[in-house]
This record gives sequence, structure tokens and C-alpha cells, in this order.
Amino acid sequence: MAHFEIKDLTFSYPEAGKNALEGVSLAIRQGEYITVCGKSGSGKTTLMRHLKTVLTPHGCRTGEVLFEGRPLGEVSQREQSAKIGYVMQNPDNQIVTDKVWHELAFGLESLGTDQRTMRLRVAEMASYFGIQTWFHKNVTELSGGQKQLLNLASIMAMQPTVLILDEPTSQLDPIAAADFLNTVRKINLELGTTVILSEHRLEEVFPAADRVVVVEGGRIIAVEPPRAIGERLRELKSDMLVSLPSPVQIYYGTGSFLECPLTVREGRNWLSREMADRPLTTVSLPEEEAYREPSKPALELKEVWFRYEKELPDVLKGVSLKVEAASLHGIVGGNGTGKSTMLKSVCGVCKPYRGKVFLEGKRIEKYKAGELFENCLAMLPQDPQSLFVKKTVRADLEEMLSGRGLKKEEREEKIARLAEECAVTELLDAHPYDLSGGEQQRAALAKVLLCDPGILLLDEPTKGIDSFFKEKLARILKRLNRRGVTILMVSHDVEFCARYADAVSMFFDGGVITTNTPRRFFSQNSFYTTAANRMSRHLFPDAVTNEDVIALCRQNSADEDAIALRRQDANDEKMSALHGQNKGDI
Amino acid sequence: MDDVFSGYHPAVNFLFFIGAIVLGMFLAHPLFLAVSMTSSVLYYLLLSGKGGLKFLRSMVLMALLLSLLNPLFNTRGGTVLFSYWKGRPFTLEALLYGIATGGVFFTIMLWFACYNKIMTGDKFLYLFGRRAPALSLLFSMVLRLVPNFKKKAAVIATARKCVGRAPDCGSSRQRLERGVEVLSVLTSWALEGAVETADSMKSRGYGSGMRSRFSIYRFRKMDRIVAAVMVLGLFFVLGAVFLGRAAITYTPAVIMPKLDWITVAGLAGYGVFLFLPSFLHIWEDVTWRILRSRI
Repeated sequence: MAHFEIKDLTFSYPEAGKNALEGVSLAIRQGEYITVCGKSGSGKTTLMRHLKTVLTPHGCRTGEVLFEGRPLGEVSQREQSAKIGYVMQNPDNQIVTDKVWHELAFGLESLGTDQRTMRLRVAEMASYFGIQTWFHKNVTELSGGQKQLLNLASIMAMQPTVLILDEPTSQLDPIAAADFLNTVRKINLELGTTVILSEHRLEEVFPAADRVVVVEGGRIIAVEPPRAIGERLRELKSDMLVSLPSPVQIYYGTGSFLECPLTVREGRNWLSREMADRPLTTVSLPEEEAYREPSKPALELKEVWFRYEKELPDVLKGVSLKVEAASLHGIVGGNGTGKSTMLKSVCGVCKPYRGKVFLEGKRIEKYKAGELFENCLAMLPQDPQSLFVKKTVRADLEEMLSGRGLKKEEREEKIARLAEECAVTELLDAHPYDLSGGEQQRAALAKVLLCDPGILLLDEPTKGIDSFFKEKLARILKRLNRRGVTILMVSHDVEFCARYADAVSMFFDGGVITTNTPRRFFSQNSFYTTAANRMSRHLFPDAVTNEDVIALCRQNSADEDAIALRRQDANDEKMSALHGQNKGDI
Repeated sequence: MDDVFSGYHPAVNFLFFIGAIVLGMFLAHPLFLAVSMTSSVLYYLLLSGKGGLKFLRSMVLMALLLSLLNPLFNTRGGTVLFSYWKGRPFTLEALLYGIATGGVFFTIMLWFACYNKIMTGDKFLYLFGRRAPALSLLFSMVLRLVPNFKKKAAVIATARKCVGRAPDCGSSRQRLERGVEVLSVLTSWALEGAVETADSMKSRGYGSGMRSRFSIYRFRKMDRIVAAVMVLGLFFVLGAVFLGRAAITYTPAVIMPKLDWITVAGLAGYGVFLFLPSFLHIWEDVTWRILRSRI
């Protein structure tokens, strides 16, 4: 019996023109690990919310959902609360109480569990999730990763048989995200809990998943094991291919006949086998110009020191950085090293106690209060939502222009132009809070750009955004560069920096350690680098992006005969494997 | 908090503070007052370390001020020390009464400061929330929301500042406008978050039937022993109080009951009661050191 069975589910939100879900059918087995992927707005969340009655959205619905063979509506709320665990995106908003121990017990309290059982379950969960050390803390003291783990633990305390996670790591940094996903995998492997997880970053979840479900426009377009999903997507000519993990993308980019790799390790082995009988003629990309420090930087930090309070340790310890005009400069580095603080020190929110910040060659203190943010500098904060103050995106954009003495037509024209540039024209009349993460990011960017900044600071611009929006964002940023805008970006997203930045700096322990062009920068690192580089460095030491690796593979491709031979081999292998399987069946 | 006493059961904590504060408020007898003052200073310093000295200093100043001000308003009393401003008397009795009032104020403030450090919101809730689970949950949520809002307000203000709309500069009208803007964003942000919190609560079975309450406190053997010692101490103090040995009048003349064994017993009980938390604190320190030196 299937654990969950969705039968021909069609759903539309009230007053919405088109169906949010259309003819969705899916059977999920007990203990399976299902990954749901799709662009934002494709209906992933709507689909997952249908798996729990209290979260099911209002609207017009046909079809049914069966849980353990019974229609979901007939399963009591109590039973659903215990058996179906649901983790949402935002780590903060899901937490109800003020103490970690209380939050752990919240679900059990709701179910009316007796004290003795609760004590045991809470103790069990705290130990399993490694919460003992912060068991007595206030929840406000926790990091985002800890909060999300707490949400998971609180749900696991009710001993659910199925765990539904809706983009649980979109607000977390990569290390916390990996930690969280490992825990989910552990639960799946050790407890046999069914897992249904939707995610943008597929690197970690792909190897763990039993099946991948691809949702597009409210329909399920593919349900396959991870190794086969790429093939299926290619047949469908779906653009979802670009959001698959690097090894998978490179594999399909080269048109290999071997087995599809999922992890970096598999990718490395696959590449070795793939290249085994080819003469490696070109192993490196055309030589790039070496990185030169700009002589007239648009933005310069000289030995900047900062601490938040007198008693606290220094956060910035002599940061020196030069950013070339009209370039995209990326800064990568671990959590809590002071990257965001550095941005704040540039825009004057944090005042350094030693050192100087120059904007366009002029010290930041020399700018008058209003002058700095008009036509000079602007920062896009980590959470774009914090920028919106009005009821519609249009009103929000207009707000930026008020008090500048512009005529109405001028204003409207300017807004229309920027909305076009940031691709938010269709969203102008929507409420900012109704937009998806990527849309919010672009609307916020449009808002910030209305300041006409010469220097733009971005704090984690790719956080919680899917790969399509990332590409869109990159195009916008590049266009700004061409118009002469200098962009300084702090990011955890190594792939994004490798692909689009002009220069990349490593930030560590309150200072910039090194700066270089992305290719030189990432090919020097062994850990802090892209997946593409990690899986190909033994053959192509300076290939950094997926495209680099694919291009080099192509350049080294063997002649036609060898390819034909290889295809034959692969077919033989498949046949014999099939044969072996059949034998086993008998 | 690494204080031993705070690790005891909330009921024991609460018994102590209710005793210390109520008795401290009514016992203006100099000997009893002295016991209360020394024990409160000792415990407060044990709890807050060097950082507590600042608060202590300001409280001493306040107490002194109170003592000196009292004779200015209160002229009753037989012994005139001196007269001032058209013969208004400054009497010894009123001064003594002022000192006693200052002392009471001082010790109460310190006990309250200790109370704040020991009786956290969740302990109070545990003791009194049993009757009203909904209310106690609400209280717990509010305790979480307040710091959360503060943090969000700061994030919004920073974001606004980075696009040149800082709420703390510009003309006063602009400032007001921008401040209101931050507030309105905070409200919609909070509402947005509340929807999700409600989902999370429902999803975890909130409102699906009877609720139970979880607590991490247990009434152990040591709780019983400490509570017994406290009750014993209280018994002696209250005995002395009801036999009139702790009563005192300052004005118009200082009248104090004679010192006898009942007063001494009451004082001893009071001392045992009030010094108990400090004793537990120091005792643990000492045993810990001895244990460690043996290794």
C-alpha cells in the first residue's frame, strides 16, 4: 500500500485564472525519499500543502489524496498532526515559544501527551539532534540553522511517519543547509520515515533521493530516479536541466554514454573513465590576463577596523580592498567572518574606529548625509522584504523618488524604465509580500537602483533563489556593469561568483586574504571552489564552471570511430546488466 | 546562570522570594533589618559578581537620600538635633526612622534584583500557568515576540538607511514620517509571520483537543530538604513577630522590645532563611574546590 497517494488532483485558487495544480497523480511508498523540484511559482508548495488538511489552501479542487489508504479528509486532525510532519521555509516564523525545551515539547503538549512520555521523547530528540548544549537557551539566541533543526526536532518528537519539507534550507547558509539535509537523510535512513522534500539547491539532496519529481506549471512533468531524470528532461527539452547538480549537468553537456554521476566523487571517476582513451591535447583554457589591482578604484577600503562594542572583539581587522570601476566584485568566505559588517562599514551604518573608506577617490566622511545615498551608493540588504514599505510595488518604487523635485511624467518614465530593466513590469501592481523570493529580490533591486547609485552593494543576492532567477539576476547585474555601475557583492554562492564575477576575494577572520580573477581564484582552492572544479581538477586544473569543463571535454573529444565504439560498449554493458538481472529473477 | 539555588524547584525559589520580600517590607527592627540587608547584599553580589557593584552603589545613594529626606518632612520625635528655617525641628527619631525606611527600601530593591535573575518567566509560568494553559502559552509567545520585533525593527531601519531613508536623520517631520514607515513595515511583517506561525501551530496539532503541559522541573529530595529548612526558619521569625519581638516604633520616641531568647531565636530563624541561597552557593563552590584539589 502506498503511503501517500495523490489521484488526479486539480486545484485552483479562488479568482485565479488558471489552475495551480492540474491532473497531478503520484504514489509515494513507505520510507521513500522524494525530491520535488521546479521553478518558483510552479506549484510545488501548493502540491505539498495538499498533503496535510490544516495547511491545504482554500480553492476549487477535484481529485483526492489518500493517506495510508484512507482519504486524507477522514484522518482526524490529531492523527495527522502526529503522523504527518511539515517543515516550512522560514526558520523564525515556525517557532512558537520562547525556550528551546518548550518548543521541543510544543507538539506533544498539543496532543495531550502525559508528562512522563513527553520527558522521554524530548530527551530522545534533544540527544538525537545534538540539542543538549543549547537545550536551556532562549530561541532568539539561536542561529538560523539551529532554529530550523529545532523545528525539525520538535516535529520528530511527535514520531511522524512522513516528513514533508518545503524548501527548508532556502534561508540557511550552505554549511547549515548541508547539516540540515544530512539530518533529514539520517532520519530517512535510520528511522525509515518517508521524506518529501522540495529544494532549489539539489547538490546535497540528489544523491539521497530515491525519486525526483519535476513540477512545471502545476503539472508533474517527470518522476524518475535521480540518475534518469536528466535523460527524461532532455527528452522533454525542459529548461529544468540547468538547475540539476553540476556533475549531472556536465554529464549531459558532454553527451556521455556512461552511467550518470550524482556526486563530485562519482563525477570525478566518470570523467576519468570518459577521458581514459582520449589523448588529452588541451587541458587548460586559453590564458587569462592576470589580476591587476585597479589603479583608480571606484571603492577602496584602507586598513578598516571595526567592533560593535568596546568590550567585544574586533569584527573587521584591517580590511583593505580595491574594487575596480564598472566591475562585479564578489566576496566569498565563511559565516560570521565579517563580510556583511564590511558592507555596512562601506555604507556608513557601521563606523570604523580606524582606517578609511574611499568612494570614487573621496573619503566617505566628506560626503554630506543626503548626498551619499543620492546618485552615489546603495545597498541591497540580505532580506529584500525589509525594503518594502508600501502596498504595491509601484507605490514602493515611487516612494524612492518623492522629495526629489521630479515631475510626475519624469517619475513614471523612470519607474517604467527600471521596472523593465529588472523585469518586474508585470508585478508593479502586486503587493510586495505576495511576490516569490526571486521576484522580491528583483523588485528590491529596482527600488535600490532608483537611487541611481554609482556603487551598488549586494548582501547575499542569491539567497533562496532558484537557478533561473539567478541567471536573470546575473543578466541585470552585467547590464548595470556596462552602464558603469560598480557592484560589490557578498555571497556564499561559489558557483554564482565563479560564473559571473570579474574578481573574487576571500574573506577570513575580519580581513581580505586574497583577490584574483574567478578562474585563478577558484582553481587555486581545493575546498572552497565550485563542484565543477572539484570533479575535474585532476584533468583540467583551471576549469571552474560547468561550461569550462564541457568545453574542454569537447575539445579533447576522440574521433567518430571511438565514439561509435564507446556507444557499442555502453549498449553491451546495459544488455549484460539486464541479462544478469533477468537471471537473478529466475 | 550557574547559581545553585536557581537550579532548585521554582516553588522553592518562589517561597524564598515571597518570604524575603514580604518580611523585608514589614520588619523595620534594626537587628532584623541588618540581617536582611547583609544577606541581600551578599546574595546579590554572588549572583552578579563585580558587575553588580554599580547597581549597589546607586541603591546605597538612594537609601541615604531617603534617610536624610525623611526628617525634613517628618518633624515628630522628642529629641531635636537642630532647628532650621524658622525653627523647623530636625529630630533624631525621624532620622532613625528615615534610616530604617532607607534600609527597607534598599533590601527590597536588592531582593527584587535577585528575583529577576532567578525567577525567569518560564518558572513563574510553570507555577501559575497550570490553571490557564492558553494564557500561559500566550505569555510564552509574547516573551519570544518582543526581542524578535526589536531585531526586525533594527534590520528594517538598517535597510532603510542603506537607501538613504534613515529614520534617524533629516528634518523632524521627515524623521517622524520615516519612523512611522518602519513601524508600518514591522506590522505587516509581523502579520505575515503570524500567518506562518499559526500554520506551524495548527500543523503541530494546536487546538486539536486537550492540551497537556511540559515542564523540565522536578521536585527532588534536595528541594524538600531546603524547603523544610526554610519553613523552619520562617516558623521562628513568625513566632518572634507574633510575640511582638520584632515590633518597633520610631516616632515620637524609639520604643523597642527587650532583647530576650525569643528575639534571638527569631533572628536566628531569619538568618537561616535569608542566608540559605548564599550558603548553598558558597558551599557548592567550596566542595567543588575541595573535590578538584583531590584529583
